Amino acid sequence: MPSDRKFPILIPIVAVLALILGLGGLLVIRTAEKSRDTLPILGSVPSFEAVNQDGTPFGLQSLQGKISVVDFMFTNCPGICPVMSGNLAKLYNSFSLESRLQFVSISVDPDRDTLAALQDYARGFGVNDSRWQFLWMPQADVVNLSENGFKLTAQDLPSGHSNRFVLVDQLGRIRGYYDGTDDDEVAKLTLDIPKLTKAI
Amino acid sequence: MKSFRRFALYTTIATYFLIFIGGLVRVSGAGLGCPDWPKCFGRWIPPTNISQLPADMDRTLFNFTLAWIEYFNRLVGVTIGFLIFITAILAIKYYRKVARIWIPSVAALIFVAYQGWQGGQVVTSQLQPLLVSAHLVIALIIAGLLIYATQQAYYIDNPSADKNAIYPRRSKMWLTILWICGILQVILGTQVRSALEILEASFPTTPVAQLVTQIGVVNYVHSLLGILIAISTCYVGYIILKQSRNTSMLVREGARWMMILVLAQVALGLILMMAGVPAFMQLFHLWIASIYIGILFMLFSAFKKGVVDAV
Repeated sequence: MPSDRKFPILIPIVAVLALILGLGGLLVIRTAEKSRDTLPILGSVPSFEAVNQDGTPFGLQSLQGKISVVDFMFTNCPGICPVMSGNLAKLYNSFSLESRLQFVSISVDPDRDTLAALQDYARGFGVNDSRWQFLWMPQADVVNLSENGFKLTAQDLPSGHSNRFVLVDQLGRIRGYYDGTDDDEVAKLTLDIPKLTKAI
Repeated sequence: MKSFRRFALYTTIATYFLIFIGGLVRVSGAGLGCPDWPKCFGRWIPPTNISQLPADMDRTLFNFTLAWIEYFNRLVGVTIGFLIFITAILAIKYYRKVARIWIPSVAALIFVAYQGWQGGQVVTSQLQPLLVSAHLVIALIIAGLLIYATQQAYYIDNPSADKNAIYPRRSKMWLTILWICGILQVILGTQVRSALEILEASFPTTPVAQLVTQIGVVNYVHSLLGILIAISTCYVGYIILKQSRNTSMLVREGARWMMILVLAQVALGLILMMAGVPAFMQLFHLWIASIYIGILFMLFSAFKKGVVDAV
């Protein structure tokens, strides 16, 4: 044990150490908080060609420059699509002032989902502008895009489509997957979207 | 044996550094930075890039900063484990016949080995609150054992220290009460933290400053007890400094620092409540509490040597 004599030296040493710990701790905490605001980069959306419900061409370049929430559906879907589209409609409404955000629903049933059918479906969910687009592409292309592009299974279509919402950033990179039928995950998506809008 | 005493002291200080690091993991939210144990994402050294993850692991779990914070905690933990191992060896070597030195040293070794495994349980349980709190409590026990061994070695090297000390009447009783309340307060603190975490999870978009008002009874009790402990500590510290005789530097400095720390604790507690629980303040609040408990324990052991009498 240091003797009494050494104590005057100890106090500044302790003070300096406390300062180092304090500053170090602050730095680490700040870095951790910033890192949590950064969504991981999980992949990149490849090139694709589709048309939206109005017949306008829509491809990879239409995703770039905006933040997109992408899902797969079909208009005759009895089960999960109403739930998924319902959740997207909620987001569509709550982010109505966010022009940098768009919603993209891709049909996995191109034989039955005509452009008119997609337009009806869109109207049914209150879509009245270009912030939510419904895409039509040939069967083989949609399977390819789902499986190879978004890494989502596309077997036994149309009912076998994925239930995932995919968050895509303005550079066409995949930043998150969320179960579109799960309220907690949709809530998490709601919190993750601003992390990308902040970065623009 | 001066080498044992010195080494045990450095090990004790290092243990408090580890408690600081553990607190840092907690407040930076890095508890699951490495979702597996003891490896991190299947590797002995954490990945530096998401592409280094094994194919079967969920890539959304990877956060470079959090993984390395958590890994640093494990590294420091292993280092302290090694230091305690050496301390135990030295204790057996030089103090084989002195049970009050080698037994706590070996006990600290056993506890730190357990602590390492328990840390793994914290991770695999996905940070189950009781296990997280237990991780802190075990750390405090280890620190206490090391303090005890170091202090007993000090008394052997300085046989007259505190032997003829005379303490004011009832000061020992007060010290015991303070120590028990201190431990109770740490437990209450963990409950305040848990309650806040639950609120944050249920209301992720509400600012923390607002949630703090919803914590409930446990927060009021924690705050009230904190103030009572602060007042009592200053009273006990004062009478020890002014009215004791023949005390060693351990007792005098201990009494002084326990007062300084408890006042810092109250200030930090106030800032936490009023400023929306900033993570940085949480860390020091937790750490200072740990040191305070250690000082109380040290004083308690010192009192056993002397005489408590009316002064």
